[in-house]
Amino acid sequence: MNRLNLIQKTVMSLILSAMVITVVVPIIFFLSVSFSNDFEMNQFPKNLIPSTSVTVKVAPTEQGLYEIFYNNGEGYRSIITTANPIKLETFFNRQFAVTIPGEQLVEQFSKTKENGPMEFKLKKDMFYNFKQFFTIATKAKSALVNSILVSIYTIIISLTIGSLAGYAMARYNFKFKETINVTLLIVRMFPVVGISIPMAILLINFGLFDTLLGLAILYSIPNIALTAWITSSIFVGINKELEEASFIFGANSFHTFMKITLPLAFPALAASSMYAFLTAWNDTISALILTNQNQTLALVVYKAIGTSSSSIQYAAAGSLILIIPALVFTFIVRKYVNQMWGGVEV
Amino acid sequence: MSYLVLKDLEKRYTKDGNLIVNKMNLSIEKGEFIVFLGPSGCGKTTTIRMISGLEDVSGGEILIEGENILGKKPKDRGVSMIFQSYAVWPHMTVFENIAYPLKLQKLPKAEIKERVHAAAEASDITALLDRYPAQMSGGQRQRVAVARAIVIKPKLFLMDEPLSNLDAKLRVSMRTELKNIHTRENSTSIFVTHDQSEAMSLADRIVVMNKGIIEQIGTPMEVYQDSATKFVASFIGTPPTNFYEVKIEKREDGLYAIATGFEYKVPDRLVPALLPYTNKKVDLGVRPEFVGVSLEKTHSLDHLCESVIQFVEPQGTHAILITDIGGVETKIMTIDHMEIRPNTKVSLFMKNGNVMFFDIETTQRIK
Repeated sequence: MNRLNLIQKTVMSLILSAMVITVVVPIIFFLSVSFSNDFEMNQFPKNLIPSTSVTVKVAPTEQGLYEIFYNNGEGYRSIITTANPIKLETFFNRQFAVTIPGEQLVEQFSKTKENGPMEFKLKKDMFYNFKQFFTIATKAKSALVNSILVSIYTIIISLTIGSLAGYAMARYNFKFKETINVTLLIVRMFPVVGISIPMAILLINFGLFDTLLGLAILYSIPNIALTAWITSSIFVGINKELEEASFIFGANSFHTFMKITLPLAFPALAASSMYAFLTAWNDTISALILTNQNQTLALVVYKAIGTSSSSIQYAAAGSLILIIPALVFTFIVRKYVNQMWGGVEV
Repeated sequence: MSYLVLKDLEKRYTKDGNLIVNKMNLSIEKGEFIVFLGPSGCGKTTTIRMISGLEDVSGGEILIEGENILGKKPKDRGVSMIFQSYAVWPHMTVFENIAYPLKLQKLPKAEIKERVHAAAEASDITALLDRYPAQMSGGQRQRVAVARAIVIKPKLFLMDEPLSNLDAKLRVSMRTELKNIHTRENSTSIFVTHDQSEAMSLADRIVVMNKGIIEQIGTPMEVYQDSATKFVASFIGTPPTNFYEVKIEKREDGLYAIATGFEYKVPDRLVPALLPYTNKKVDLGVRPEFVGVSLEKTHSLDHLCESVIQFVEPQGTHAILITDIGGVETKIMTIDHMEIRPNTKVSLFMKNGNVMFFDIETTQRIK
């Protein structure tokens, strides 16, 4: 490989860093936000690394109440004065993401009656926002299951049909082969949203509206084409003699396909399944149009971001829940996509 | 009854298309090593693919041990094949590759292991059993293909240009080994190649094919020294046979072949056959080693003409002289005159009457 000169290197690093920034910065921001409590959210400048505990100053008042002070960077300020355990619990919960029962708080704070004003370091519940997300977005739990199921259906549908189509295109000659080849790409040219309305009508007629299967079918349409393209190029690259050898040495067509052709095309299938998964997992618009009760997680998160303007940290937590499975799946699959047979120790 | 019989075997790819294999008739005895030799596109690969069952047959019959195997699936024909690309499955280890056919026969594990090891030993790859094909050289992959082919103890071994992807040196040593394995396993083999030296060194009998037709079937020596057609004479031998269009003329002292550059008296043994061709044109073929070179003028009966050597290609054991006889480029193989320089004037003669005549229309040998 030619070595790049200084200018090329600089340009390359600039482009790369721009790409990294556009991808990484929002993720870091959301990561930070999703672990922050309400007070941390309102801090300016906001700390990048959320604290694991909350420090409050408590002073007893003459009425037997506790006045609680909090330093949000500009000195201590009185934020609440109460001795009601329920009130205390709710307040600490909402504002500080501290989930300690009210009675315990009162018990701790009661020491100030003897010792005078004291500082308390209270442990923050790091996953408070995530729990809160599932409480606020009541459908989030079933939506997560829905999302997983829809993704699996989409992978199954687009891989079965798409890889068979790809195999046919690679191995057999038939009329209009080239036309079909191009037509497959045309399918991908339509934005899914563009076909959502007619799809909705169709699905209603078939009784598949607001079902996971209906959604999966919609997602599969562009992915079948893509899978066919990806796999056909791989199938073309698989030497026909490998299959013929299998026939000679005692296998039938099905066995040959399962034992020889499919494993060899596995990287292509892995790549296609990744695309199928991401389409199904990331979509919101089609899900918005085509579902009513059976929402997907992406849609729920989307709605959460849209509605909860006051507490964006819950939406951030939801987004992370949305991102993590996609990341995990992609990383698992990536290994196979990159795999060169035999070159990689299994 | 022969072991393998091809009867009027025909193949065309489209309904009214050309015959790729045209009425092929061949019978092979058990234990024979047969080589199909011919230029690319002559139908030799198609023929063994038809025998293996990978290709449909358009007409004719294939019998193994008297049983017609047409319509049988490849796996039920009892043949094994070594492919040009070796077709070693890259996602399986060597062991799995060799064991694959046995596993399909649902043999017990112990027997599979034993037979795989035996086959691996026969082809000298015992040390490689755990490796993946990608970690091996071409020659080693070739051996895996061989081991896989012998492990099923086939009735018939088919080899489709198995050596053409190897480098020259390995090719020579592998072909000796293939022949060795053939002898040891006592198998019947059909080997396809376009490389004549491969064919000559391996074959018990060579089947020379051209345009879907068998030109000649014979031992390596027969095809070389007693070529049946002009095609065989030109295809076999390096450098190839020199051909001249000659006219047969009857003179008082016998028949003469008259070419633009020379006149040559037909040897007595060929006179009866050539008599009907008097005053007609035929092709005269002479192999490069049968053209003699002399620095002095000779006037014997075998004398051809005077000529100037244009190029000399030294080959170590011999040298190839290139000259021009009556507008036809002529190659001469010489051992005695290896030091000859280009632009030397020499006298050419025919050695021992080793000359072949071919009918121009049918291209058949006249003898």
